[in-house]
Amino acid sequence: MANSGTQSRKYRLQGAGLDLALPYLMLAPGLLIVLGVLVYPLWDGLRASTKVYRYGSVVADVGMQNYIKLWSDPQFLNSLWVTVEFVALSVTFEAILGFALALFCLREFRGIRLLRTILIIPMVITPVVVAIVFRLIYASDAGMLTAISEWMGGGQVQILGSPVKAFIGLVVLDVWEWTPLMFLILLAGLQSLPHEPFEAARVDGAGNWRVFADLTFPMMRPVLAIAIVLRTIDAFGTFDQVFVLTRGGPGEATRLVSIYGYDTAFKFQQTGYAAALFVTIGLVVLALAFSAVRLLRRVDAS
Amino acid sequence: MTQSSRSRLTRRSVLKGGLGLALATTALTALGLPVPARAAGKKVIIGAFADGGLTPFKQKIIPLAKDAGFDIEFLEDEYGVTLEKWFADAKNSAGQYDLYLLDDPWVPQFGAANVLEDLGAAGIDGGDKDWIGSMIDMGYWPPQKGARVKGFETATPTLICVPFVGDLQTLTYRNDVYTSGAPKTWDEVIAKGKEGVAAGKIKYPVVFRGVSGNPIVTSWYPVFLSFGGSFFDDKWNPIFNSAEGKASAEFFVGAMKQNAPSGVVEFDSDQEGAAILGGEAGAIIQYSGNALKADDPAQTKVAGKLDFGVVPKQTSAIAQMGIFIAGIPKSAPNKANSVEFLKWYVSADIQAKLSEAGSIPVKRSAFGVAKPGNRLIPVALQQLDAGALPRPRTPDWAKVEELLGIELNKALQAGSGGGAALDNAAKQVKDYLSSVGYY
Amino acid sequence: MNSRLARIGVMSAVLAIVLLPIYWLVSTSLKSNREITQEGTLYPHLPTLDNYIRLFTEKQFGAYLTNSLVVTFFSVAIALVAGAMGAYAIARFRLPFAMERKVGLFLLTLRIVPPVVILIPVYLLMLKLGLLDSWLGLIATYTAFNITFCVWMMESFFREIPVDLEEAAMVDGDSRFGAFRRITLPLAAPGLAATAIFAVLVTFNEFLFALALTATPRAMTMPRGTATLIGRIDTDWASMSAAGVIGALPIVFFALLVQRHLVRGLTMGAVK
Repeated sequence: MANSGTQSRKYRLQGAGLDLALPYLMLAPGLLIVLGVLVYPLWDGLRASTKVYRYGSVVADVGMQNYIKLWSDPQFLNSLWVTVEFVALSVTFEAILGFALALFCLREFRGIRLLRTILIIPMVITPVVVAIVFRLIYASDAGMLTAISEWMGGGQVQILGSPVKAFIGLVVLDVWEWTPLMFLILLAGLQSLPHEPFEAARVDGAGNWRVFADLTFPMMRPVLAIAIVLRTIDAFGTFDQVFVLTRGGPGEATRLVSIYGYDTAFKFQQTGYAAALFVTIGLVVLALAFSAVRLLRRVDAS
Repeated sequence: MTQSSRSRLTRRSVLKGGLGLALATTALTALGLPVPARAAGKKVIIGAFADGGLTPFKQKIIPLAKDAGFDIEFLEDEYGVTLEKWFADAKNSAGQYDLYLLDDPWVPQFGAANVLEDLGAAGIDGGDKDWIGSMIDMGYWPPQKGARVKGFETATPTLICVPFVGDLQTLTYRNDVYTSGAPKTWDEVIAKGKEGVAAGKIKYPVVFRGVSGNPIVTSWYPVFLSFGGSFFDDKWNPIFNSAEGKASAEFFVGAMKQNAPSGVVEFDSDQEGAAILGGEAGAIIQYSGNALKADDPAQTKVAGKLDFGVVPKQTSAIAQMGIFIAGIPKSAPNKANSVEFLKWYVSADIQAKLSEAGSIPVKRSAFGVAKPGNRLIPVALQQLDAGALPRPRTPDWAKVEELLGIELNKALQAGSGGGAALDNAAKQVKDYLSSVGYY
Repeated sequence: MNSRLARIGVMSAVLAIVLLPIYWLVSTSLKSNREITQEGTLYPHLPTLDNYIRLFTEKQFGAYLTNSLVVTFFSVAIALVAGAMGAYAIARFRLPFAMERKVGLFLLTLRIVPPVVILIPVYLLMLKLGLLDSWLGLIATYTAFNITFCVWMMESFFREIPVDLEEAAMVDGDSRFGAFRRITLPLAAPGLAATAIFAVLVTFNEFLFALALTATPRAMTMPRGTATLIGRIDTDWASMSAAGVIGALPIVFFALLVQRHLVRGLTMGAVK
């Protein structure tokens, strides 16, 4: 990336006098705010994670006990599993649908601009409102599905009462909200591909499927991978939508780790245990992200 | 595009955007906060969760309070976030509220953390015989009667909360289905309800809340009590999975579910309310929030057809009592006003007004002055006399309720296995309580 | 011919899937609660604006909107300034111990950690500073989150701009900072706009920290205010749906207005 030419230039640019302090002065405001508002609390959270709280006050220091306890807490393990399932299913569907839509929209045609405009809406709407929208769809009394079913002569439709359906309902919400992002990224990726190989393949008489399998997909792999990584990281922290849609229920069917952590901290007042849980989630996501980046680099290099 | 035009574009658009935003903000501030003309009264910031049970207070008592010189700021929030917000406020002395209108099972948590004012010391007489005894009892921490959690065995009970709006479960039933008055037993509820369904008057004999956590536990509780169950022994060992408890759970997830709307597993107050007010269900056990709407044609399709009664029984007719209960955080910014307001509010006069407005009062003398035609308040008194129990007084009730609610909800989905669900829940509750040092 | 039909088919399916839920939200917001829960109508038979009027008279949606605008504006503006400078330093300078690269990586790390992780300590921090339930508390929090994101995005924009232009300006007598301000920043304007737009979206829509840090209409933002109506006890569907419409309207309007930049910003990072 950085060849020796630009490096020497950078040194040259640095100049003298006040200019020597410039990089530090430019970094300082942002760093100070981040250190104060994000890093200090992170440190605070780390400290809290080794303590036991009772009725809102620290009663004991237990070292790593909270972290160890997590892995034998069936509710935590369940929430972790639910989160993994949720992320895997949602992101997979979003990638497939987004890719298909992007391929479909690659050729300019009338109406495509309208389509793109409309597709922006789901991902910019406030997540809380998206969840309200889906509660209005799923509610067995006031819901759209029930209204349609009753209009066609059927009975009430219930989604949020059954664990499996509620979970699928949550995945559908996420797919509705975030497929457009996948679509836009992948469309931009497709549009930035060079034309020549495709023209050559056409001349050679390759069919649509061959072109896709031999050219489009391999060339799109990096973009697809980055899109998936970005979405996965984001989906792991999903909170608002579940908080409003199901609050984790029915039972524990949609209780993501973020919700379980929130409840543990605020509802059950196990502040220290919740802090350990959050630190663990943070580490899991970071590990995920960095191993993904490493994987991407290796793919890039080969 | 040339460089200079680009630079102008950004600078100008940034400026324009900023100016526009600033203007819009100013305009909105002017529009959105039309409150500067507030009467300079004694300020009291009340935190409450959104609940129909507080409607009479909001509509009738707050205006009276303004006349009496109080400047009430009434902050309503969603039930699911209020406990944690208020507890954080009180525990950290953030001073954002003067008065919390708590759900009564939250009192022990605030009590154990010692963050609420001693209202007895502030001059409110908990011994006043006009209080409904079972209600004022809930305001003490540690509780005056019954089991106490570890660490508080010897502490002197202190009055940290006073009952604010009384409430307890009663039966609401369709008088055209249950033609000979309130059904006396659960068997009668189901049997007559089925006749009503057959006659096309209703679609389902009963309706209740099945959402896991607080809702399902609240709906199951009166069934549990009426079957003769009790929750903890006096050492905090869970005993709700006794034979009586199991029978109630089996009945709840079995017969009751079969005779309720198919979506009942996901029903909360709004859905169960819609089912009874919309004329689909024959009977429901509920708090007064929806019951208050029973005679209002704007809110129900079956106005005049809904009557109230004591909850049905198997061995006894006991309901769950759950009241709005008021506490003042030690960090309240307007503490003196807040105490004064509470004293004013619990006076016999104002309680009579509350009763007139349709709420269940917290003073016995106020029960007599209900508006003629209010059929709920006399029934509430009957229920109080027949039996009404609060939830166990432990700071860990929220977690207990959740553990139990999850298991009950699973059994309800399956439509069977209520007894096994209670066994599972009892084990989890026991494990949890021992992990936080109960035994 | 066949492909045209398929195109129309896919188009209408996508439009229906996206728009039907939104139709239902709007349609519900025009009904009374009784019509919503007891009639199950497919469109409002007795349309009413009462639900909206209630939001601004009985509830305080005017205040929520004001709070959201103020908080979003300031936290994005401050983050842009601080973030652009930081990003420039990281993109252009070589510091001892490769410090600039470490700072960049550090900020990226912070960006990846789910925000919920530091919810409680941030609450305690704002409490200590006396900034609970205030604009300032929210602005500080959102600014910090936005900075991690702005630095990350702006850095890549600055790297794309050739260094020669700055050198030329400095030869002409500009200071180092002057060259940045007069040459590089304007060239990065589209990137800056894309970053700002993205930051506005994220900030305006943020819910979790608003939930923890605000308690009254003095500081509650739009999503937070909307959430006071999501109750499961006694759900007021009518108000809730109207609040959904009002809550979404400003941001959707904004997004459509700046659509082009938005799409660029969203896709740029990934495609490069």
